[in-house]
Amino acid sequence: MLSAILEQTINGLMAGSVYVLVALGMVLIYGVMHVLNFAHGVLLMVGAYVCHFFFTRVTGSYVLSIALAIIVLCLLGIALERAVFRPLQGNLRNQVIASLGLILAIEHLVIAVWGPNALQMKVPATSALVAVGELRFPVQHLLVIGVTLVVVAILFVFLKTSKFGTAIRATSQDRQAAMVVGIPVERIDWITFGLGTALAALGGALIGPLFLVFPQMGDAPMVKGLAGILLGGMGSVPGAVIGGFIIGVAESLSTLFMPTDYRDSVAFAIMVLILLVWPRGLFGVRVRGED
Amino acid sequence: MSRLALVLLMMASPATWAQEKLAVGIITSLSGPMAAPGKFQMNGFRLAEEEINSGGGFTVGGRKYAIELKVYDTRANPAEGASAMQRLATVDRVPVVLGELHSGVAAAAAPVAQDYSIPLMLTIPTGPSLTEQGNRFLFRVNANNDQLTQALAEFIARQGWAPLSFIAWNNDAGRGGVNGMKKLLGEAKIGYVGYFNVGEVDFSSHVTNIRSQNARAVMLLMDEEPGSLAIKQIRDAGLKTQLVGTLAMGSDRFLKRLDAQRLDGMVQYNAFPPNANLPHIRAFSERYSKKYGEEAHGFAAQSYDGLKIAVAALQKAGKVDGAALRDALAAIEYDGVIGKVKFDAKGQAHPPVYVTQWCADGKRRILHPENLKADCGAG
Repeated sequence: MLSAILEQTINGLMAGSVYVLVALGMVLIYGVMHVLNFAHGVLLMVGAYVCHFFFTRVTGSYVLSIALAIIVLCLLGIALERAVFRPLQGNLRNQVIASLGLILAIEHLVIAVWGPNALQMKVPATSALVAVGELRFPVQHLLVIGVTLVVVAILFVFLKTSKFGTAIRATSQDRQAAMVVGIPVERIDWITFGLGTALAALGGALIGPLFLVFPQMGDAPMVKGLAGILLGGMGSVPGAVIGGFIIGVAESLSTLFMPTDYRDSVAFAIMVLILLVWPRGLFGVRVRGED
Repeated sequence: MSRLALVLLMMASPATWAQEKLAVGIITSLSGPMAAPGKFQMNGFRLAEEEINSGGGFTVGGRKYAIELKVYDTRANPAEGASAMQRLATVDRVPVVLGELHSGVAAAAAPVAQDYSIPLMLTIPTGPSLTEQGNRFLFRVNANNDQLTQALAEFIARQGWAPLSFIAWNNDAGRGGVNGMKKLLGEAKIGYVGYFNVGEVDFSSHVTNIRSQNARAVMLLMDEEPGSLAIKQIRDAGLKTQLVGTLAMGSDRFLKRLDAQRLDGMVQYNAFPPNANLPHIRAFSERYSKKYGEEAHGFAAQSYDGLKIAVAALQKAGKVDGAALRDALAAIEYDGVIGKVKFDAKGQAHPPVYVTQWCADGKRRILHPENLKADCGAG
């Protein structure tokens, strides 16, 4: 039983890592622009496809392909901010509708380019197995968790200490006050959007070799990431991290004593329970002017 | 120059040149989620068409015909299936329609066949209820799910693989398959049962549960894509349990998704072992790989037989008429590539069902039925 719990905890941390990467991007964008980008899941999917393309067709180096996928998706995010979200600024409803429309547009574009069938991405270097007691995990599995933790740490340092990070935090606290002190908030917008999509691309590139690369692969991480955000507290960066991991580990552990087809319900039931006790989520702060 | 070549080509094959064409309806998936298996189906039909026509066609009631396929794409969509069937009956006026892969589409097309008294011959759908509707114009060449499970259950019971665990689609096919095996093997022989939703790719929770319940064997009720992921995750986690798979997991295509080491020892039910040492299978597999450059597939073999049976029945009926053809089909006995085909009163044929096993070198052997047992390389 102990090893089953250990195995499921590690599996949960792995799934949670992907939720965290999606949640972080969404929460950063939400903080700065006050828009929930529902297309974040399909951007993760595009990241996986781009990584697959570079890996199988161009470089053959997994690390390089991840980096290229991050760069491409970062540029794509900036382009989307310019072309879709900025013209709709100030109209939250239209921005949400636009992000829902993007899901359809991007998903069908991907199907048109790569076809509807799942692609395989075999990375020999990371498919080696690591033994933990009687359990065994592919290196890729642990890589997902490790890389996510490192990226989260870097992101925290960046937000807390760098000038840009401080500007992002200032803009998300109060856009007008940030403008008053001379922060170029429009530049912050597109930088944040690019950063957010880059995180999604990393998520996609990391789980591609573990599972398959297919058009719907971003759907579950987006929904679970969103649950993580709500659970952690809307707009809170540490909340998104803790929330994502809680959802991942909780749904994995639940399968030890409940039918596995209930795992999605478990994730959302936990979210609802936590919101009942802490209506703003674990790390949510009360914002002046809301409710 | 190219026109001259075309004329020469036409003169060179007078069989297809001077003859009257007889159109036969085909419904299949050329696009959509089932486009890949749809290709196997079309390959089978095309191969049969080519052979019939290059052999000089066939005679019905004293008139000689070459065959022509009227193909409609149903895209795994029941509404498309019904409307294609309607069109074939009223516009193209074909005497028989063959094909389809998707049980839902077949269910939508079948009543139309009855309405217009045109036989519909299914060559791939496995939903057992299709042939239970009292539709006299529906025939199924391939074995249905109940027949496939029956053969596998006999084999598993003989091996004494209990408890048998499952990872299964959370849908009709998955739950139906688990219930079918429960009925055949008895509840006591069933261990952990885990369902997953279409689109799920992480099977780690099932792996943990199978490990902690010490399952003797685990059956994967799913198709190629999740199947390859599940096997990879089970083997990577160090589980040595016996794997049991479906039709989709006994082909070279599936081997390419994984590797011989992970598949070694796995068994699966199969409707057509392409390398079996039986003359009719041998001959078909050779012709197929020569034409298409890949291993022959069961879906192609079933569809190939389907068209051949339709033509044989047309000849027997002696006229191009749906109702007459139906009666001829009901009575026909045909030695096909997939084995002996004879339709029962419900229109269901009973071809042999095989259980094959993966060998360490990536080849397959036949374990069941007993009289056709064959060693590695012949499965």
